Amino acid sequence: MTISCKDLAKVYEGGKEGWPALRGVTFDIKPGEFVAVTGPSGCGKSTLLNILGLLDEPSGGSYRLRGRDTGAMSDAERSLARRDGIGFVFQSFHLLNRLTAAENVGLPLLYAGVEREPMRERAHGLLGRVGLQGKERKTPLELSGGERQRVAIARALANSPEIILADEPTGNLDSASSREILDILFGLNAEGITVVMVTHDRELAARAGRNLRMRDGRLEA
Amino acid sequence: MTRALLNAVRTGGAEIWAHKTRSVLSFLAIAVGSVVFIDAFSAIFHTYERLEQQREFSGLARMRIIQNQAASYSSPDDYVEPPTFGYEELKKLRAQAPEFYMVSGEARSWRNVMEYGGERVVASVAGVTPEWMKRDFGYTLRGRFFNWHDMEDKLRVCVLIRKAPPPPGEKIYRKVYSNTNAFDTLVTHQDLLGKAVSIDGITFTVIGVAEEFPQSRRMQGFSGWREQTKVLIPVTTGANYGIVRGGGQLEVSIDSGDEAAFDDAQRKVNNFLKINFGDGDFFVVENQLEEIRKNMAARLKDALVTISLGMLAFIAGGIGIMNVTLATVFSRTKEIGVRRAIGASRSDIMLQFIVEAVLLGLTGGVLGSVLGYLWGVPLKVILGMGASPIKPWMPLISILIAAVTAFAFAIYPAWVAAGLKPADALRAE
Repeated sequence: MTISCKDLAKVYEGGKEGWPALRGVTFDIKPGEFVAVTGPSGCGKSTLLNILGLLDEPSGGSYRLRGRDTGAMSDAERSLARRDGIGFVFQSFHLLNRLTAAENVGLPLLYAGVEREPMRERAHGLLGRVGLQGKERKTPLELSGGERQRVAIARALANSPEIILADEPTGNLDSASSREILDILFGLNAEGITVVMVTHDRELAARAGRNLRMRDGRLEA
Repeated sequence: MTRALLNAVRTGGAEIWAHKTRSVLSFLAIAVGSVVFIDAFSAIFHTYERLEQQREFSGLARMRIIQNQAASYSSPDDYVEPPTFGYEELKKLRAQAPEFYMVSGEARSWRNVMEYGGERVVASVAGVTPEWMKRDFGYTLRGRFFNWHDMEDKLRVCVLIRKAPPPPGEKIYRKVYSNTNAFDTLVTHQDLLGKAVSIDGITFTVIGVAEEFPQSRRMQGFSGWREQTKVLIPVTTGANYGIVRGGGQLEVSIDSGDEAAFDDAQRKVNNFLKINFGDGDFFVVENQLEEIRKNMAARLKDALVTISLGMLAFIAGGIGIMNVTLATVFSRTKEIGVRRAIGASRSDIMLQFIVEAVLLGLTGGVLGSVLGYLWGVPLKVILGMGASPIKPWMPLISILIAAVTAFAFAIYPAWVAAGLKPADALRAE
């Protein structure tokens, strides 16, 4: 099992008893699956994805990533697990505008201690893989939305992760760009990478191998 | 680690450049601290350098016999006319202490009139003995100095002191040091050696012209440079013709010649005074070494006050840097989230902000060093304060202190940045 969650709960602080975002979510994800997480706004999709990506910690329940109990991991171990095992694709890209496309892609390699030249080669290779040859030196501000998201995908692939977590990756894109991005994600999944994608789009969810529907912090049957 | 550090330096540099005004304001206080530190270092260094100069130039085994101004009398009836330590007493002391390197007597007068070729100029005259040459003699002599024959016969001979020429090619020095008076102009433009001049209406022959050492070679001791004296005459002649006042009273400078034997020498002088003038405490023996030590302690105290001011500036600068770094952390919260998401650890984030702050500190330190040099060398000279000796280690140390200050004050903001939860940081707007 790549991902195994049991009774996962998350309560945000606020009010008298806090605000529950997840109320006991249990599911497993096998290696190589393409899972779409759907549901209305505020149902806890993004919270779930943040917990799966080790960006946030659950308030209750357990989450095992590749057999390891994440609750027992130190911050350094979580950073390491994110760096080497998980790639993120966000709705609003989250690229650093100061850096070029190639530098953005190389950033995870920098934290992995990769030398300058191999880092440059890998970044250029990844940008080529998502169809951005020749745009390595452009900054995000000089790229279209679809291109920016492709840079983000290239960045997510930098350390060859087993899992890609995508939070509404096409939410800010037109339909043509959305199609391209999805093609890339499905292509990666075909290569064996596990993809977990949060989306509003039912049509898109239907293309995924499996669909986790959420409502009010719970999984619908 | 090196790559991460280099990247942090690059990102930090870009960030500082992107917020130039904010950055300049934040390191300004650090720069001020650096200037103050360099000035204080220079003052301390200069004090020791002068002590060394004094030691080389005239040794430290000096003392002075002066009239006891603090002597008090309970009623006017008790007043006793103080005795005179004159030329005869000086000779007697010399005879009793032949091992001393110098026993020099001097009687000064502040305002005399010298006349040559119809030109009248104001000059200060000092009556001296041949041994005057042994005290702080920073001159190049043309002609000759006085001998004992001049003394005994009270000859009307004099040595003129000529002002040092300004260092060639230095416009600033020229501007500062060209405040020559009529006496200096006369002595500089006329060769008076062998000529007859009149001092307070009495004719003297100029037997020597002593030219001051140039400014750069001039000794800056602690015992006070007698800049005012322009004309030297034998002390006996001065008393005889009433040119120097004080009824033949001399101020006596003694150099025992040996620092180790200084205490013995001082005892000997005190005994001499007691035997010749009784227990009246009419004279006091001033220990020059003691004076120098006091002087040095005062200067070092001044320097410490300056250093504490510099410390305050550094602390103010540190607070400025802390403030700016905190502002940077808050304005870049989302970036912190992104970096954390792609694998940056807490220490990577800390390093990033600490490096940025240290860069600010270093920039402030370097700017301060440049300003400190400009203040210490050309500006002080233009203002007539005398250049501060600045050694390469002074700016280096102040840059180091600037960097360490920035480092210390960046720890808290960097810790705040590193403590942000990645999910919260990513949600920040």
